Amino acid sequence: MIAVWIVLGVVALLVISFVVGFNRLVRLRNEVNTGWSNIDVTLKRRADLIPNLVEAVKGYAAHERGVFDSVTEARASLMRAGTPGAAAQANEALTSALGRLFAVAEAYPDLKASQNFLRLQDELTDTEDKVAAARRYYNATVMRYNTKIQSFPGVLYAGALGFAGREFFSADEGDHAVPQVDLSPQE
Amino acid sequence: MTLQEQIRANRFRSVVLIGGFAVIVLILAALLAAALDVWVGAFALAGALIYAVFGVISSRGMVAAMTGAQELPPEQMRPIQRLVDNVAIAAGLSVTPQVRIVDDPAPNAFATGLTPGKSFVGITTGLLATMPKRELEAVIAHEISHVRNRDTRLMTLAVVFAGVIALIANIAFRTMAYGGGRRDGNRGGPIVIVLAVVGFLLAPIAAGLLKMALSRRREYLADATAAEILNDPEAVALALRRLELDPTTVRHADVSVAHMWIESPTHSVKDAPPGGSALAGLFDTHPPLESRIAALEQAGGFRLPDDLPPDQPFLATIGAGGA
Repeated sequence: MIAVWIVLGVVALLVISFVVGFNRLVRLRNEVNTGWSNIDVTLKRRADLIPNLVEAVKGYAAHERGVFDSVTEARASLMRAGTPGAAAQANEALTSALGRLFAVAEAYPDLKASQNFLRLQDELTDTEDKVAAARRYYNATVMRYNTKIQSFPGVLYAGALGFAGREFFSADEGDHAVPQVDLSPQE
Repeated sequence: MTLQEQIRANRFRSVVLIGGFAVIVLILAALLAAALDVWVGAFALAGALIYAVFGVISSRGMVAAMTGAQELPPEQMRPIQRLVDNVAIAAGLSVTPQVRIVDDPAPNAFATGLTPGKSFVGITTGLLATMPKRELEAVIAHEISHVRNRDTRLMTLAVVFAGVIALIANIAFRTMAYGGGRRDGNRGGPIVIVLAVVGFLLAPIAAGLLKMALSRRREYLADATAAEILNDPEAVALALRRLELDPTTVRHADVSVAHMWIESPTHSVKDAPPGGSALAGLFDTHPPLESRIAALEQAGGFRLPDDLPPDQPFLATIGAGGA
């Protein structure tokens, strides 16, 4: 009789730990999704600013065709990007194309004094900061989520129940070692 | 704990708090009814409930009024609102709390609101004038942590409830002391009167202690969360050290909102000798800054340098028109 109770107790414990673990996975997955939609929103906002910026600069420096093309191109590939990794790569390409655009703008004092241009430049810097902030949250949650489904006991059932590992928002393919909290002293 | 679990834990605490409040109010009302009259008890009960509901609903406006936190025109607020937006994004909030400015030379900050969308972060002009960007961000991250973990809601409930209980107890005690009970004689006998007096004296003390105990544990948690959000525990510790070294305290400090600020606006904490009496510690809303810094140093494995970095204050970097 005692053996039956022990078996029942063990089964009950297993069921409870499974339910708790499963619910935690669902919560983590939701946090990852929230994190990704935060990144998505800021990336869209960033992309939306580009046409206006290109127009503003064209008014003063119409012949700098190559720079405009590379910015427009980078924006298009950012809009197309389907995965976090691809989006991160496209975003970095856009940042460097914009860097060239702003470098070109240095040569046009009228442009640099234009209120419209200054405002757009300021907004773009801001969206860049926002992407960085959203990325920090997203990568931290992906880290927690992936750890959970790759470690015991989650690894036993996560795959079977459709919890797939998620990709970091990172331009570097091998960059999977993003620490959740870097507790080492800075500088 | 995941974010959702922290929020759920706080939601649970809110429910317990509401339950505990209901029990205390019921006991007080019952004591009143026993000692004086059934109608006095019923009247106190109804009054307490109306006051509590009204208090919670209007808490946001009340906090703004008590602290003097104002909204400034958007163009003046932009640099600081941006900082808050970015910290909120890094914290994983989908809506960003508003920023309001408290015109006060003492560096300090607080957060309030029942939900993240209806919250605001209050920042003193003194904070903008003394903190460099990195440390200002740390202070904001601490406040955003309170919003994100729903500490602000829990604290709002605790404060309103503590206020209601203190008020009823006060009125009841006065009524009894000044002859309310004499009208129809000592209906309940001396034992009931003694019980009632003890109850009325203890209730506000219990409520106040509860409010403070809630706040103090939360400060450590918010410091840790801020360090995690920014990935920079040293910035949080530096900000706390700068607050500690600053001699000014907030002018508008009202005792009923003392628990909200990142640094206690009352003198009791600052002036307490290190390792001072435990009884004094019992009534503080905040743990001493020194032990909060020590907790961060221990978790982060670093030691703060003796001198603070000579970085420019945020206000100077954005031009004086900021706020």
